[in-house]
Amino acid sequence: MIADDATMARLMALSQTGDRQAYATLLAECQKWLKRFFARKIVQQQIDDLVQDTLLSLHRKLASYDPDRPFQPWLAAIARYRWVDHLRKVYKADEAAFDEGFAAENSEPAIVARISLDRMFSYLPPAQARAIELVKIEGLTIAEASYACGQSESLVKVNIHRGLKKLATMIEKD
Amino acid sequence: MRNDNQEFIDGLLNDLRPTRPLTLQRGLMIASGSAALAISVMALFIGIQPALITGSLDPLFLLASGLFLMLGIAASVTVIGMSRPHVGTTHSGWIWAVAMAALLPLTAVVLGFAKEGNEFFQSQPAQGMNCVINGSMLGLIVGGALTMWLRRGAPTSSHQAGLLTGIAAGSLGIFAYSLHCPYDDIFHIGLWHSMAVVVSAIAGRIVVPTLIRW
Repeated sequence: MIADDATMARLMALSQTGDRQAYATLLAECQKWLKRFFARKIVQQQIDDLVQDTLLSLHRKLASYDPDRPFQPWLAAIARYRWVDHLRKVYKADEAAFDEGFAAENSEPAIVARISLDRMFSYLPPAQARAIELVKIEGLTIAEASYACGQSESLVKVNIHRGLKKLATMIEKD
Repeated sequence: MRNDNQEFIDGLLNDLRPTRPLTLQRGLMIASGSAALAISVMALFIGIQPALITGSLDPLFLLASGLFLMLGIAASVTVIGMSRPHVGTTHSGWIWAVAMAALLPLTAVVLGFAKEGNEFFQSQPAQGMNCVINGSMLGLIVGGALTMWLRRGAPTSSHQAGLLTGIAAGSLGIFAYSLHCPYDDIFHIGLWHSMAVVVSAIAGRIVVPTLIRW
């Protein structure tokens, strides 16, 4: 069970005052939250690295959270930013075993639906979303992705490039 | 992995220091403070135009200065908002302020075509270059303050944040310099004062993203 938004917001406000106990609890909660957030949107073996990258960004950008606002939309913006950055880095994974769904297990489905990574994909043209999913998330080669989705190899590359560029402009989009 | 992870978390915990949140109020204070500093620098080193002191102000001066001031405020508020990411936030209000300020150069162009005269020379090119240079230089004070603010924040679109920092800097810079500039002609303001904003916007778009990426 992951803490709700109000609890996380309280912990964050305390962390900004230097309360290490609150920060330790917050980091543990964020770690669980992020693992579910990134599930199925990145190769399983890369999740721990991406979660740590995101926690590091959270730590460095602690001041950018305003205690008067909800916490999870802030964390989601940080996470989306790191995720898009991660997708830009080329990697090839051997297998893609996915974790359980995020939305199904979270206590606040309405918030999650608005800030999820799927939501960002829904703004992309289907061909761009498919190319990114196949190559950057499932870890296929360009040739394999081309065969799987019926786009030429150069079109797959163009769609990935355009899709990632578009994703980068909609980090905060609802 | 478990030990690595615990070590990582411990590292973050040991590094925790109290931090002041980047609230909207603090951001507005920094933006308005830097704009006030730009005006003070202009007043001290360049001087305020006599018309401002005597109160014999041209309506176009008031209108144009007001538009640049509003554009500067709109862009600054957006930059401050961008430093505090939040899914569900849109940063598009500044576009309307740009559209309104763009009426100045548009009016100059339309009148220029309609009159078919020597409007370019009427725009005082020599003084115009001074306006572009001094307005942009004064804008550096605002641009520097906003860039420092953004470096502490977490802007998710560095290119847009850079562009808006440049627009805010140029608008507030030329607003400050317009308190000195004695030319209230639409061709001068529409061409040269607007150009200070364009130059700053381009500079901000190119330079600022490299300084705020995280």
